Amino acid sequence: MLPGVVGLIQATEVIKLILDNGVPLKGRLLLYDAMKMNFKEVSVSKDPECALCGISATITELIDYTKFCDAKPVTSAQEEFNSESFELSPFEFKTALEYDPTAVLIDVREQYEWEICHIDGARLIPTSSFDPKSSGLSKESSIYLYCYKGQRSIMALKELWKAGYTNLKNLKGGIDLWAEDIDPDMPQY
Amino acid sequence: MTLNNEEISRYSRHLTLPEVGMGGQLKLKEAKILMVGAGGLGSPLGMYLGAVGIGKLGIVDFDVVDHTNLHRQIAHAASDEGRPKVHSLRDTILAGNSNIEIDVHNTRLDRENVMELFEQYDVIADGSDNFETRYLINDAAYFTKKPLVSASIFRFHGQITIFDPDSGGPCYRCLYSEPPPAALVPS
Repeated sequence: MLPGVVGLIQATEVIKLILDNGVPLKGRLLLYDAMKMNFKEVSVSKDPECALCGISATITELIDYTKFCDAKPVTSAQEEFNSESFELSPFEFKTALEYDPTAVLIDVREQYEWEICHIDGARLIPTSSFDPKSSGLSKESSIYLYCYKGQRSIMALKELWKAGYTNLKNLKGGIDLWAEDIDPDMPQY
Repeated sequence: MTLNNEEISRYSRHLTLPEVGMGGQLKLKEAKILMVGAGGLGSPLGMYLGAVGIGKLGIVDFDVVDHTNLHRQIAHAASDEGRPKVHSLRDTILAGNSNIEIDVHNTRLDRENVMELFEQYDVIADGSDNFETRYLINDAAYFTKKPLVSASIFRFHGQITIFDPDSGGPCYRCLYSEPPPAALVPS
């Protein structure tokens, strides 16, 4: 049934392009998860370095696609890190935490920020001393990370990802947006 | 271009929608769409594009209908087993709406045929199932300046977007600059 849902969205977008009506799915990647039954949207922008459509493009005619797709050695290739794929909005983050029995919540800000405010149940591991190896975090757990605005936590998340952790979530907008969207009593700084 | 009386009656629920109307229905009739893939995505895509009155549909696929396709490739009936998918999908679409023109290309899309094919259409819809074809389609759509409505599925996940670098948007390579390693490619 999954192809039906996806094929019909594709048909809808074709028709909108022809009619030149509505907001087309350009620059936006729509992700559908049938098991969770949710849709997510990730914005995709033009890569100025793109080999095909970038400023100094190297692909100027059709190439050998069999070779292009087969030539990648398995060992050297690593899946690309896409920070947005780990992001959850404050609401999604809160819901996921509540329903995830293996959830471990990590605050990667510094001690002084922790003292201003923190999310209940969190454990503090400041980025200044963050090391996946000594963190004691289990790869079996779902690790939920947050910082002030979401930047430091994505760096910590990337370190964990490189170290082989797979189940990782980042609070989009950090505790600052959390205070706005979820906990109006929390101080913002 | 005009609509005949049968078409006016058939599309009347479109004609009364301000977002479509007679002008929009004529645009659909004038449109030429090329679909790559007549399988899981191509089935619903083709059936709806045909039903809404797209004037000319091109369908490219080289495969034949197999018993294991039937549970999800809904344009194909059990009696179509062994037939080229492009023929089976064409017949299903025309059974619903014989006003439209369908060009079938019972062949594998490759470097030799892709450019000439794309030139004949306004929009490309990618419902293919492998990375080689996906990069080929992306590059050819870029060179021929055709918008590409791209969809892909894997297990319980689907992705849909429009690549239109000619109007300032990204292309498939902006999103995935390299194919995944062979060991990670789902078969």
